[in-house]
Amino acid sequence: MALNFVNVVGRYVFSTAILGADEVQVFVMVWMTFAGAAVVTWRNQHLRMDVLFDLLPAKARRWIRLAEVTLLAVMAGFAAVQSVRFAALMVSVDRRSEAANIPMVIPHSAVVLGFALMALLALVKLARLARGAEEG
Amino acid sequence: MSFALGALPIVLLLLGFPIFLVLLTAVTVALVFFMNVPLTVLHQTMYGSIDAFALLAIPYFIYAGELMGRGSVAQRIVDVVQSGVGHVRGSLGVTTVGTSAIFGAISGASAATVATIGKIMLPAMRNAGYPAPFTAGLITSVGAIDVIIPPSIPLIVYGAAAQESVPRLYAAGLLPGFLIAAILAAYVLWFARRARIPAGGRFEWRAFGRALGRGVWALGAPVIILGGIYGGVFSPTESAGIACVYAAFVTRFVYRELSWREIVDAAATTFVFTSQILLIVACASVFSWLLTVNQVPAALVQWIESMHLARWSVLLAINLLLLVVGCFIDPLSSILLLTPLLVPVVKSLGIDTVHFGIIFTVNLAIGLFHPPFGINIFVAQSVLKLELPVIYRGIIPFVFLYLVALALITYIPEISLASMRLLVRGS
Repeated sequence: MALNFVNVVGRYVFSTAILGADEVQVFVMVWMTFAGAAVVTWRNQHLRMDVLFDLLPAKARRWIRLAEVTLLAVMAGFAAVQSVRFAALMVSVDRRSEAANIPMVIPHSAVVLGFALMALLALVKLARLARGAEEG
Repeated sequence: MSFALGALPIVLLLLGFPIFLVLLTAVTVALVFFMNVPLTVLHQTMYGSIDAFALLAIPYFIYAGELMGRGSVAQRIVDVVQSGVGHVRGSLGVTTVGTSAIFGAISGASAATVATIGKIMLPAMRNAGYPAPFTAGLITSVGAIDVIIPPSIPLIVYGAAAQESVPRLYAAGLLPGFLIAAILAAYVLWFARRARIPAGGRFEWRAFGRALGRGVWALGAPVIILGGIYGGVFSPTESAGIACVYAAFVTRFVYRELSWREIVDAAATTFVFTSQILLIVACASVFSWLLTVNQVPAALVQWIESMHLARWSVLLAINLLLLVVGCFIDPLSSILLLTPLLVPVVKSLGIDTVHFGIIFTVNLAIGLFHPPFGINIFVAQSVLKLELPVIYRGIIPFVFLYLVALALITYIPEISLASMRLLVRGS
């Protein structure tokens, strides 16, 4: 997570010196987004509109949560499969980034990992909820 | 298709599912059951939307704001403003407005401003005899200026969604931000006179100079950010990067307030915020692509044109829609969901998309503190320990003042466009 800071310093010092520094920063951001999504999922910190949800009785809330984590497992799993196919394509054609010549599989696999982890965490939460825990 | 992109997401949203999951489900159902395109388009569109240099400004501005919010920067700005206006009746209220405006030019996060500035100004205003509801209303509503005054994160997201230039949007946000600050300050002065709030001591150049000296590094941040962008030195993304280094340097070495540990902590918080926002950006990009290829915005434009409405009445309807949406959904998600639908409509009416970006942002800014669910109300409640009924009572005049400002900004495009023309050449 300190990468962000190192990255800023890197940019400040090298931005004019190293061609492709912009590209590397954007790839770091892609990783932050999708790897971070797993962290955010684990901590239940996703942005949502929970005004109505909070008004519901506890029992209804539990069923909705169950539905939510099940849906998350399915959707994130599906997205991960699509992303794996694309990342594999990047490997087989050996695509590289324009400036820094980084293999494009590196940024693309962030999406794979992010969704795969989210699907996995959703399953863990599902198991917890099914065992009767209040929060997944 | 209208089930996948209409009914389904609305139901999931109301049930309180995470917004990214609502969008991801809608697009996946649409792609799998209603369309005949390769499914890797899901990955390609999501990845493509995040692989964008312009969005890099988001983590950097969040980080700079996080760093500046942790130290004594807010206190120093308060001291500068207070020593400048302290002799006026109602000065503490004016200081709250002025400090929020300046702080807004450092950070783009509104809730943080309410918490940081509220902690300093609330006890001071209480001791000076301001009525509790007035103080609560002012502090809760004033943070909304921050998302309008650059650097503003909603405006970066709008720029990405509407394909509009961020420097132009930032320039256009300046004057409306000052307008709102001026309206609030005028109200504060009028209120203080009526409520007979005692004036402070005399204005002293020496005290003002001392405060300015202590605050000069804090005041340097907006100068660097805006001066850099409009001096033509950096792009917004680069200025955001420089702002981070500047904020880290000032808080670590000049003021010596933040330990390395806190600097890393701020990075961790930034990491989570960035991911929360950009994951929705990624999923919304597929949603917006699907709307466009299914010609939903075009149909909407046709439908509105077929009613032969006057421009002002469409704008009024859009404003009402945005105010309602803003009360329930956070600004960034609202921008991502509605920009692909609304921008074609306003374009067909001949409204400038930069001007519309400002209208959009002001509406959502009001949603940040609009009762009963505005997020800043809950920040004020939890961080500042204010009671909900007191906030609700106090906030009403401020909602009204913001609505007046919104009407002016909506129907006088020059307010937004004048500062843009002044700062950005060739627009």
